[in-house]
Amino acid sequence: MQHFLLYIDPGSGSYLIQAIIAGVLGIVFFFKNIMIAVKHFFYRIFGKKSKMP
Amino acid sequence: MPSFNTHPSSYRDPSGFLFYKNGVLYRQVNKIFKKDFEDFIDTGLYDHLVDKKILIPHQTINENLTGSEDWLQTLQPEVVPFISYPYEWCFDMLKDAALLTLEAAKEALNFGMMLKDASAYNLQWHGGRMMFIDTLSFESYDEQKPWIAYRQFCEHFFAPLALMHYLKEPLQNLLLAYPDGVPLSTAKKILPFKSKLNLHTSLHIHLQASVANKLKNNAQQKPFTKQKMQNLLRSLEEGIGFFCFSQSPGVWSNYYEEANQREDYVKNKKQIVSQWLNKLNVNSVFDAGANEGEFSEIAAEKTRQVICADYDHYSINKFYRKIKKHNWFNLYPLIIDLSNPSPSIGVNNAERDSFLKRTKVDLVLALALIHHLAIGRNIPFESIAKMFSGLGEYLIIEFVPKEDEKIQLMLNQKKDVYHWYNEENFKTAFNQLFTIVENHNVGNSNRNLYLMMKRDA
Repeated sequence: MQHFLLYIDPGSGSYLIQAIIAGVLGIVFFFKNIMIAVKHFFYRIFGKKSKMP
Repeated sequence: MPSFNTHPSSYRDPSGFLFYKNGVLYRQVNKIFKKDFEDFIDTGLYDHLVDKKILIPHQTINENLTGSEDWLQTLQPEVVPFISYPYEWCFDMLKDAALLTLEAAKEALNFGMMLKDASAYNLQWHGGRMMFIDTLSFESYDEQKPWIAYRQFCEHFFAPLALMHYLKEPLQNLLLAYPDGVPLSTAKKILPFKSKLNLHTSLHIHLQASVANKLKNNAQQKPFTKQKMQNLLRSLEEGIGFFCFSQSPGVWSNYYEEANQREDYVKNKKQIVSQWLNKLNVNSVFDAGANEGEFSEIAAEKTRQVICADYDHYSINKFYRKIKKHNWFNLYPLIIDLSNPSPSIGVNNAERDSFLKRTKVDLVLALALIHHLAIGRNIPFESIAKMFSGLGEYLIIEFVPKEDEKIQLMLNQKKDVYHWYNEENFKTAFNQLFTIVENHNVGNSNRNLYLMMKRDA
């Protein structure tokens, strides 16, 4: 059964959960960005080489 | 006092409202929204969104047409010729609407503003693309605050798309059952375990549904940051970008491939329909039972607006992709079950009109459809004729006789209680509301095409 929090703006509970989720995402995207940068770095090196005759 | 009619769905937001005056749709901006609206225009965000074809453009009227004391400005938005609703959209349409909402939010952030709501009803399919239509959804951005529309976005977009992705089921009707969006607690219970393995679904649905209501609102709130907001939007975008609706064969997805084996039949049918379309010189068409839109395409070349509907989600999704690929601007692909078209919903059942009330066209195309309604759904000819006569002035309808192999296939699986299903009864029923203008046999088949005109037209 779903419990509705009557008289409370349904969006208001999401303020705190957003803070939690944003915290998790901060860590995830920090590492993800490093991974993307590393991949990009190697792609630039090997990508260029593969184009050479 | 000038007379006007407020749009029945425009009551939620105190920033302004939509109204009709002398048959023209306007939007009033209220004084209470002065600062945000001025920021929206002055920062250049409005022009930027219109240039990028994200937001529908408007004209500024500079006249108080309602006589209201709250009046700040009157806008006349560009007309959207046909309004459709998320419960009539295929998966890819809803996904595009979600991604456009996120794009609008990201663009707004760059201009120091943010979206204050994220309802799926704020978007419309217009000119061959999804467009944001609610001009008053942008407010000044406070970096310390999280996204006020976050939960709404998850309920209107993330949850239904996640459900369709993981369950591989066409669930657009969920949005009819839940016009305010699918509750996250409901979505959480229906989603399979593997959805928890996806970071974004896990956070935006499972974690949010489990934790949000348990959190005390009086707990100390740490200020949000712009970086956090950008991370949140990126995560929603990545999550939605990952969702897809597989192309498993639909009920009618192989119809044309199969029908093409009967080359003469399809070719001849196209010739007759094209010929009649040229002769009628109509502006708008409703292709009922459009399947993958082969005949809608022909109609779209010759008319200004074609509403193409089918109850098979996969066929419409496939056709939607084709429409996007070719940039066709005058086709409106929708999922409609003609035995149960979308009803009027909302406050006083007046917020969103029923499909039949919204659809008024010059011509209805009902090709290879009659047997699905009459034999597939047991709908009498009289009811079918009544429905079509309420939609358009002209009707092109194909009669499929009972001996046809497709009907025999249907009757293999159900008892034949359709003694009334024959061409004479069909003509008698339709004759009460339509005049038969012309009829043609199609190819070498035993099917007949009829061109009819409404009696009171």
